[in-house]
Amino acid sequence: MRAETTRRQRQRRLLVIRRVPMYALLCLVSLAFIGPILWMLSGSLKSTNEILRYPPTIVPEHVQWSNYLLVFVNQPYLLQFLNSVAVMAGVCAITLVLSVPAGYALSKVRPRGGSAIFLLLLSGIFIPPEATIVPLYRMADALGWLDSLTPVIVFTAVLTTAPIATFLMRQAFLVLPTEFQEAATLDGSGRLRTMLQVYLPLTRPSIAAAVVLSCWYSWNQFLEPLVYLRSQEHLTVSVALTRYLDYNGEPTWGIQMAATTLSLLPVLLVFVFAQRHVVAGLTAGGLKS
Amino acid sequence: MTGTTRRPVPAASTLRASRRHPRSSLDRDRNGFGYFLLAPQVIAFTAVGLVALGWVIWLSLNNINVLARSQTFVGLDNYARILQDPNMATVLPNTLFFVVIISVSNTVIGLLLALLMNQKLPGITVFRSLIFVPALVTMVAWTLVWRFIVQPAGGLDALLGLVGIPEIPWLRSGWVTLALFAFIQMTKNVGINMILFLSALQSIPEELSEAARIDGANRWGVFRHVTVPQISAATLMVFMLTVVGSFKIFEIVLLLTNGGPGVQTSVLSFAIYQNAFVLNDVGYASALAVLLFALVLVLSGLIWQLRRRLVFNES
Repeated sequence: MRAETTRRQRQRRLLVIRRVPMYALLCLVSLAFIGPILWMLSGSLKSTNEILRYPPTIVPEHVQWSNYLLVFVNQPYLLQFLNSVAVMAGVCAITLVLSVPAGYALSKVRPRGGSAIFLLLLSGIFIPPEATIVPLYRMADALGWLDSLTPVIVFTAVLTTAPIATFLMRQAFLVLPTEFQEAATLDGSGRLRTMLQVYLPLTRPSIAAAVVLSCWYSWNQFLEPLVYLRSQEHLTVSVALTRYLDYNGEPTWGIQMAATTLSLLPVLLVFVFAQRHVVAGLTAGGLKS
Repeated sequence: MTGTTRRPVPAASTLRASRRHPRSSLDRDRNGFGYFLLAPQVIAFTAVGLVALGWVIWLSLNNINVLARSQTFVGLDNYARILQDPNMATVLPNTLFFVVIISVSNTVIGLLLALLMNQKLPGITVFRSLIFVPALVTMVAWTLVWRFIVQPAGGLDALLGLVGIPEIPWLRSGWVTLALFAFIQMTKNVGINMILFLSALQSIPEELSEAARIDGANRWGVFRHVTVPQISAATLMVFMLTVVGSFKIFEIVLLLTNGGPGVQTSVLSFAIYQNAFVLNDVGYASALAVLLFALVLVLSGLIWQLRRRLVFNES
């Protein structure tokens, strides 16, 4: 009995030892991905003097919380943060309004020419934003939209996130049985109500994925806000991050890293609490990243 | 036929009749409802996307002076300029370099990471999440962090100094700089590819690899003859998406080197931005944009064609 347990223990210990190289490899690989973020955290808490020291310190010697305060002093960061939130909300709203009915039509109603329309929308996923930025800038100028969030919201939603979401929603409706339609019609439900009250609630995971990908894409956007927006108080976070500069136009590293850290926090929080939806949304959004 | 018969069981005669004359009024009805649902998306997409595409082609045929607000039709002159522009002799090869390096490395490393993370080890999900974190970070944030890391006498120099490698001027070293850009872009997005591969790997039926093992296949044999064909569809999708995405290496170029020194680290997407919004050469920028669009279209079309040959099909 005793010999039995010690043998089992020894086996377990052997198993652990054999796994050590594997865990070492995993740690090393992860470091390439997470190391830069740890370096950013450390930099955000260093004074300029400490940042310029060589060889650099890993853990800040004198923790400079003031960097985080200066993020809000040097730029209207809170306002810029709210701008980004407004863009996210706008892009999400337009994306859902356009893509849910379109996805339903392409899967459950199937009007003639539907597949041609689907192909047309799919092509939107492949148009790089750089290819259309010149005419879109002129369009925004003609409409009087420059230096406002409107073109950032409308063009992104219509050209990019709505087509991807249409693709997602079409898949989501496709796997649902068509019989619900007949049953609902027999019960006297109108076609619009059937879509909204019978089918839509069953596609909740895909809607969550569509919301995540819209939020992520608009939060990530750089070229469009860079081109359309001028004044500091209209900038979104991604562009604002690049504007933490000193009088020589050199980056103020500590403050910039603090601002960058602050921009990551909400995303990481959402990831921790809704990991499954975030992964689903990002892999769908990977269609255009 | 009202209140009493609510069941959708048509009499034999109506069935036969409906086969002869397609139920045209019902069809029209259904089409109408479908178009009604599709209209907002299609109208918006056409009004913005197709108009923008037509417009950029038109602009590319013109010479535009932004300051004088003048525009003259010059035909294909802007396209001829692309061929003669000495800058393009650097920019276009750089662009292709990134397309090849990033698409291949992102696909291969994505698959390797997925295989590594597909092991049944305690705590493996933590490592999966860590590799996924850069995908959550915005491209701008990731680029700024890397700019901080590669600054002269910065973190990367210190790290490599530990193993005796001397300081490298990361942002002015020709192909080393380009390789660094590719690495930054790869670590940012490869987590998404890893997840796509992981879900493909996990959907392989256990019996298949078991059967192969019983037939005497070793680990490589199982990988080559079971895993690879089973994930070929996912591989192709990942590859196509990274090809399209690799043209979009914009933030890194703008924020790290501004395309310099000279145009040594510039790429097509950056050249479009620079010509249109810094140099105000809108006609030329539009010609470059059309070129970019054509390149993406041709490459994704080619890969889509390859699909027929390479993807394993059960039927």
